[in-house]
Amino acid sequence: MRVLLVLTLFVLTGCAASTAAITAGGSQVELRQMQTREYETMDRRGVLRSIVATLQDLGFVIDKADFDLATISATKLQKYEIRITVTVRERDSGRLAVRANARFNEDPIEDPKSYQDFFATLDKAMFLTLHKVD
Amino acid sequence: MPRSQGCAYSAAVFALMSAGCATFPEDAFRLSESALEMREIQVRTYEDVTEVQILAASSAVLQDLGYAIDEVEKELGVLSASKRADASNSAEVAGKIALDVADCVLTLFLGCENDSYKSSKDVQDIEMTLVVLPDLKQDGVYRVRLTMQRIVWAKNGTVYEQETISDAAVYQTFFDRLSKSVFLEKEGV
Repeated sequence: MRVLLVLTLFVLTGCAASTAAITAGGSQVELRQMQTREYETMDRRGVLRSIVATLQDLGFVIDKADFDLATISATKLQKYEIRITVTVRERDSGRLAVRANARFNEDPIEDPKSYQDFFATLDKAMFLTLHKVD
Repeated sequence: MPRSQGCAYSAAVFALMSAGCATFPEDAFRLSESALEMREIQVRTYEDVTEVQILAASSAVLQDLGYAIDEVEKELGVLSASKRADASNSAEVAGKIALDVADCVLTLFLGCENDSYKSSKDVQDIEMTLVVLPDLKQDGVYRVRLTMQRIVWAKNGTVYEQETISDAAVYQTFFDRLSKSVFLEKEGV
C-alpha cells in the first residue's frame, strides 16, 4: 500500500508543470568538461565551417548560424528529435574551445559517449578543412 | 484494496511512466554507413561563378519554390529556409472516411467512432539548409550542400511523421533548378 502511495505521488508530481525545469541542469563543471574540446588552431572560420560540415554529415539541418558570435544551432529529425548548439570560444593559450550541447526530445543528453562520438566526427572534418582537403 | 489489485495498479502506473521514454539512439553522433552516399546526393559543384552569383541564384530558387528564408550567414555560407505545404492525400482521407462510415453502419450508429479520418495527413513543415562555400583549392568553384527535413502533421494536430529527406530524386530536382538559376544569374536575366 505504501508503495502504491509513493508511486501515485511520483506520478502526480510529474504532471504539474513545474518551473524548476527552467533552471534545471547537471553539474556545471562535469557538463562543461564532457561537452568541450580544445583545438590547437586559431582558424575560427575553418573550425566553424567544419562544425557545419559535421552537422550536415550527421543529418542535421542548420537552424541558426552566426559567425560573429561563433554559434551554430541545428536540428535532426528522425523518429526522434535532436537539437544541438555548438559554440566556439578563444582561449588565452592560442587555442579554440568548441562546446556542444544537445537535447534528445525533451531531455538533455548527458552521456559522455555521445559527445565523444560528436567530437570524433568533428575531428575528422577539422583535419580535412584545416589541411584544405574537401 | 486487496494485494493483487494493488500490484496491478502499481504495474499500470509504472507502465504509464515508462511508456513516454523513447530510447536514445546510440549512433546518433556517429557517421552512418550511408553518410558518404548521402553526401554525394546532397552536394553539387558549380564552376566559373562568383560568390554573389551563386548565393543570389540559390536564394532565387528558394523563392521560386515558395520558401521563406529564415537564416543567412554569408561568412559561413549558410542559407536556411522553410515552408508549410499541403500534405493531404485524398485517397487516404477517402479510405479513412469509408472506414468511419463502415464502423457506424456495423454498430448501427451506437457508439461508433467517426473520427479516424482526422488521423490522416494534413500539412507538412519543410526545412532546408543550403551551405554554399568556395572550393578550398580552386578559385571560382563553389560547392553547394543541401539538407532537408520535414514534419508531416495529421488533421488532429498530432505529428504524422517526421524525417530527414533522403530521396535522391528530390535533391536532383532542386539542383536542376539551381543550375538553371545559376545560368540565369550569369546571363543577368
